[in-house]
Amino acid sequence: MNTDDLIRALARDVPAVRRGALRRRILAGVGAGGLVSLLLIALGLGFRPDLWIAMHGFAFWMKWAYTASLGLVAIAATIRLARPDPAPLGLLWLLAIPVLLLAGLGIGEMAQKPAREWLAMWLGGSWQICPWLVLTLSVPIFAGLLWSFRRLAPTRLRATGAAAGLAAGACAATLYCFHCGEASALFVLTWYSLGIVLAAGLGALAGPRLLRW
Amino acid sequence: MQASEEQLRAWMTGGLDGDAAAHIALLRALTPMLRGFYRRRLRGAEDDIEDLVQETLIAVHTRRASYDRDRPFVAWLYAIARYRMIDHLRRRRVTVPVEALDEILVSEGFEDAASARVDIARLLAGLSPKQARAIQDTHIEGLSIAEAAAAARIGESDVKVSVHRGMKALAARIRGVRP
Repeated sequence: MNTDDLIRALARDVPAVRRGALRRRILAGVGAGGLVSLLLIALGLGFRPDLWIAMHGFAFWMKWAYTASLGLVAIAATIRLARPDPAPLGLLWLLAIPVLLLAGLGIGEMAQKPAREWLAMWLGGSWQICPWLVLTLSVPIFAGLLWSFRRLAPTRLRATGAAAGLAAGACAATLYCFHCGEASALFVLTWYSLGIVLAAGLGALAGPRLLRW
Repeated sequence: MQASEEQLRAWMTGGLDGDAAAHIALLRALTPMLRGFYRRRLRGAEDDIEDLVQETLIAVHTRRASYDRDRPFVAWLYAIARYRMIDHLRRRRVTVPVEALDEILVSEGFEDAASARVDIARLLAGLSPKQARAIQDTHIEGLSIAEAAAAARIGESDVKVSVHRGMKALAARIRGVRP
């Protein structure tokens, strides 16, 4: 095809793109994927029966604040990486804040309980499945982000895959809080984070293949 | 005649607002720019270059939501062109060094858009007079060490040390300016 014909064909369809379209598209991808994950929790795992009571307690919000803040930072990084000439990614250092805060809470927990209870606190009742459930629930959100990227232009595909995986994992963990009844900071710091890191790692592995354009 | 950053940006913004005429003007102006860009870097068949130009125009069109109106247009354009070129080379399993975006912007004549542009006089002013002169003479005027030493009436090793320390100080300053 002649280049001038191509230009004319392309210009037949020039929809307006509003300011902030990129951000909205990423958030739409996360939101759509998140809805699917939420549906999976509702139908497959069930919400924790004491959800209403838990929402009046500290542990629920501790978990929620941890995973949601990781998710927000990861989404911000994903938005940056969706441009072909990404702005600096120094904001990723913010991830250290929730991790350190939760680690501090974990140390506080250990100080309050006798050493023989530490192991039970750390492993909880679901350490074997928690990371895998978080990873599974992150898949629809990652898929939503793949849809977002179809109109965007990431050029650092591995980093973008990792950021998208991190965002998907952290958002999945945030939703998983509606099911999981574990209350220990140590548990969340280890097993939730493991699920999130697995999602980020898989994203980094799959990024160059899935995000290519 | 190459369109200026301001002109291209105005067309791009017009296209983003839904103005098809501005969008056509943009894509037409980009075509020779991209041809030049790929011709200078790929000594391949003309067909390959035209394919790459078309692929890049399609990417500019379908992925225009990734442009931030508050940032330079040509940096965005050449970042896309660079990515398309790397992808093209990868498909061919060819490895060649590809310049960084900053260097591309300078070599394509968009120095202002490259945040890498450094005001040499301003930077040199921050050094001691001896270091500034040694760098000015050897690196900018192109004198040899011996000539620079004679001109400044100092020893050759003094010139070398001044250049070395001055360059180190400059590098540290530039890193501080653009982290």
